[in-house]
Amino acid sequence: MVIVKRKQLSFSEKLYLPEILKGMSMTFRAMFKPRTTRQYPEEPLPVNEVTRGQPRLATNDEDGSIRCVSCGLCEAACPAYAITIDGQDTDRNAITIGGDVTEKFIEREPESFDIDMLRCILCGFCEEACPKDAIFMSDELELADFNRNDLIYGLDKLKRPVSQLRPRIDYIYKVNERWQAPSSTR
Amino acid sequence: MDMLITIGVIVAKLTCIYGGMVVIAALTTLAERKVSAWIQFRYGPNRVGPWGVLQPLADGVKFIFKEELVPDGANKWLFRLAPAISAMPAMMGVAVIPFAAASPFYQDEGPLAIASLQIDVLYILAFSGLSIYGIILGGWASNSKFSLLGAIRASAQMISYELALILSIMAVVVMTGSFQMNEIANAQGGAIWNWNIFSQPLAFILFLIATFAETNRHPFDFAECEPELVGGFHTEFSSMRFALFFLGEYCAIFVMCCMTVLFFLGGYHVPFMEDAPWFLQVGAMLTKVIALLFLFIWVRWTIPRFRFDQLMDLGWKRFLPLALANLLVTGAIASGVF
Amino acid sequence: MIKITVNGREVEADPTKPLIAACDDSGIDVPRYCYHPAMEPKGSCRICQVEVSEGGRPGRVMAACRTQVSEGMVVNTEADGAHDARRECLEFLLKNHPLDCPICDKAGECTLQDYSFQEQQAAGRTGEPRANLEKRVDLGDVIMLDQERCILCTRCVRFQEEVTKKPELTNAGLASNSYITTFAGRPLTGNYQGNLADVCPVGALTLKPFRFKARVWNLEKSSSTCAECSRGCSISVEVLRRGDVKRIRPVFNPDVNQWWMCDTGRFSFPEVNDPERLLGGLVANGADLMGSTTGEAIKHAASVLSTSGSKVLIASPFLTVEEAERVQPLAAAIGAELLFVSPDANDLKDDLLHTGDPCPNRKGLENAGFRGISPKDAADRVTGADAAVLVGERILKLLGGFDLGATKLVTFDTTACLASGVEACIATPFYVEKAGTWINVDGHEGELTIARPLPSSVSPLETSLEELTKTLSRTGASV
Repeated sequence: MVIVKRKQLSFSEKLYLPEILKGMSMTFRAMFKPRTTRQYPEEPLPVNEVTRGQPRLATNDEDGSIRCVSCGLCEAACPAYAITIDGQDTDRNAITIGGDVTEKFIEREPESFDIDMLRCILCGFCEEACPKDAIFMSDELELADFNRNDLIYGLDKLKRPVSQLRPRIDYIYKVNERWQAPSSTR
Repeated sequence: MDMLITIGVIVAKLTCIYGGMVVIAALTTLAERKVSAWIQFRYGPNRVGPWGVLQPLADGVKFIFKEELVPDGANKWLFRLAPAISAMPAMMGVAVIPFAAASPFYQDEGPLAIASLQIDVLYILAFSGLSIYGIILGGWASNSKFSLLGAIRASAQMISYELALILSIMAVVVMTGSFQMNEIANAQGGAIWNWNIFSQPLAFILFLIATFAETNRHPFDFAECEPELVGGFHTEFSSMRFALFFLGEYCAIFVMCCMTVLFFLGGYHVPFMEDAPWFLQVGAMLTKVIALLFLFIWVRWTIPRFRFDQLMDLGWKRFLPLALANLLVTGAIASGVF
Repeated sequence: MIKITVNGREVEADPTKPLIAACDDSGIDVPRYCYHPAMEPKGSCRICQVEVSEGGRPGRVMAACRTQVSEGMVVNTEADGAHDARRECLEFLLKNHPLDCPICDKAGECTLQDYSFQEQQAAGRTGEPRANLEKRVDLGDVIMLDQERCILCTRCVRFQEEVTKKPELTNAGLASNSYITTFAGRPLTGNYQGNLADVCPVGALTLKPFRFKARVWNLEKSSSTCAECSRGCSISVEVLRRGDVKRIRPVFNPDVNQWWMCDTGRFSFPEVNDPERLLGGLVANGADLMGSTTGEAIKHAASVLSTSGSKVLIASPFLTVEEAERVQPLAAAIGAELLFVSPDANDLKDDLLHTGDPCPNRKGLENAGFRGISPKDAADRVTGADAAVLVGERILKLLGGFDLGATKLVTFDTTACLASGVEACIATPFYVEKAGTWINVDGHEGELTIARPLPSSVSPLETSLEELTKTLSRTGASV
């Protein structure tokens, strides 16, 4: 059993009024302190490489070809079942990274790649699952639309050049050691 | 012709004073939100108009477009009547508030008030006592336990604090020897130390605190009391009826602030300036009232709510004896016993 | 039968079979790539190594597929030495295996993935480049060969030597330069090429019609029975996202098809993915056909049948036993003989599985009192009658185009018949959408299960037939 002793109040505390005045002086001073509210539309959210925004499919800067091979690992990793991929055969020539042809050719590419942004929870599991450095979380966060169908993003809406995603890619490489080895050694 | 002029003057006074009061009440709701925001390091409403000054207008439009719900089992008549009854006493009360020593209107004698009675102090107290009816009827007619509990609390609180409120004013009335508010105000003209706040500090404190209770404001807002009673007496009200309750509440605060100014803070007198022109007097009056309104808001966002038994304890065991003793001592001094 | 001890448990073993078969029979899983129960063990992959001790001597690690069982043999499949040997074996196999898993169709059901994961063997110690071989060798219409992925288990070579007895593939080159190829790069032939992709433990041999169509872990697999001949091979119907059937694979059934199935059956899935299938029903409206619900079409069919004179009923050989039971009362109600279309044998008959008879439930229908007639005979009977009922999947296709004349026709099929004189078409499920039984040529019962949900506007054939019989008896009573 714990016995809690009540604090013995002094006369001025019993009188309430001085204490009330103390409290009021405190709130009065608070009125002149700086505001912490963000004025959102005018004052945009701070975004940096840690921001997990809308997932994007990386395309190579050299030829604009998509890196995705539609392996379906992001689809499998997605906890919200937001991703749907259909693959197809392709003769497209290889990924070039830094001028080196890293693979003979890519046999497979997505025929359709849909992310249902109404379901996406921006968790970044797809980015983590991707074996081909093809999907990354961009810093684009403002996704509102007027139509449910328009929020199911297809290939055309998801493609982004690698150079635009560069800060995020560097960040991911930095924090994730197992990605350290460049894909050219595969 | 004289008759027409008299009617014209009355209509003009009604328009100015009621219009002014409603505008001030609306702006008070804005001020409430702004000041609370500042105290909490926020901005408050700032989207409608410059600095958000049109926010009350937007609120009003929104209230009008809201669906009006009447709960099942409610007493439909009283439910619809209650908001009107709640707003009425404050509107009636403001009729006797003098805003300047002399009316600037043509052929209008006496102070700048809609009506100047011999016993306007009694009149205004009587109507402020009536304001509880709106709350009780609204709470009872809603057929909701939260509303009823809020209404019962409000009535108990009103009875407890009305005594202290009236007794503390009586000390001022005894000092002045008049039931007319413009005479009480005139007695405080001239130097600032003529204000009754200096001769009756205890009465002032008692009166001020009792007005908080009388208008159901923090820290005595037991009629609403969101954490315990959802919304208290207006839980079931929506749309413009809810807005009317709100308007009534802020008008009551305005009237109470006017009374405080008239009784204790020199009324419409500009300090150290006898016979100031009427517009300066109105300005002085409104400045003091607005300062008090700010105090009301400031207190609301500073002090937490009392417990109900503490409220009753304070009302009956502290305020009533103090007010009685204050009146006794004042009466003794005024009648020359000492 | 002799007695051996496997992982501390005494089990019975067949002395004519290798040790790995005894392990399989006692439910103990031993990894394997080159071993297949249908073929002679070769012992080329060495992944099946287990620790074996005989006569109280210390255990030795040996390949389970090339070890004969002997009385009193003590086997430990989980010995440290066995695991070490498997890990070393995997390191060698993975040395030249490309990291193609993201694009490889085998990923997800690849035993190379499974055992690498199981044995925790992912890293290699070599710095040499991987073998550089042909990645896309087109071996005909069915099979695509990726020589880089091949681990040279030679299951495919032995499948052709021992099962189809028509060797085409071979292991060319020497030692580390070996690769699988056909003579002069000729395409593969025969009706059993699809099995090569099944026996291949990795993604070296993949099916062209399934190439990149789906990831295997997204496929919902249901056991069913093949519809393409009267053999009734046990199959697994694999459906992507509750929609199209993407693949059909054989399921091991010792009584019917062993591990195999023919390409005719394997690639018959476009039949059940028909994008122009009939939904609901069609009802004659003057000269046109008008879409309606199944219920309305059945009502119309009943009124047509109850007002017509001579009637015939022709069933499809695709009817299940359960559906045939519902056809009997209907035939009795309209006074028709029990007949089914029995097309002539096709030229697909072979020694292994295909019977050449395209009626998957011939036995079941004959048992139920149906008589088979040729499509020509059936067409003549339809034309000769006042009203005709055609029941079952693919019945319209089997009868071919024919002139209806004055006959009023009611069809139950997955597609609509648009000839003039058609009174009602009622949609039915495909065989992958229903539960039932087919009886194959040997009297073996093949079960059908619901592999994908039926569209809401289509009702099961049993229900439609019962409904029609009931409506007929009601109108008959009122007349």
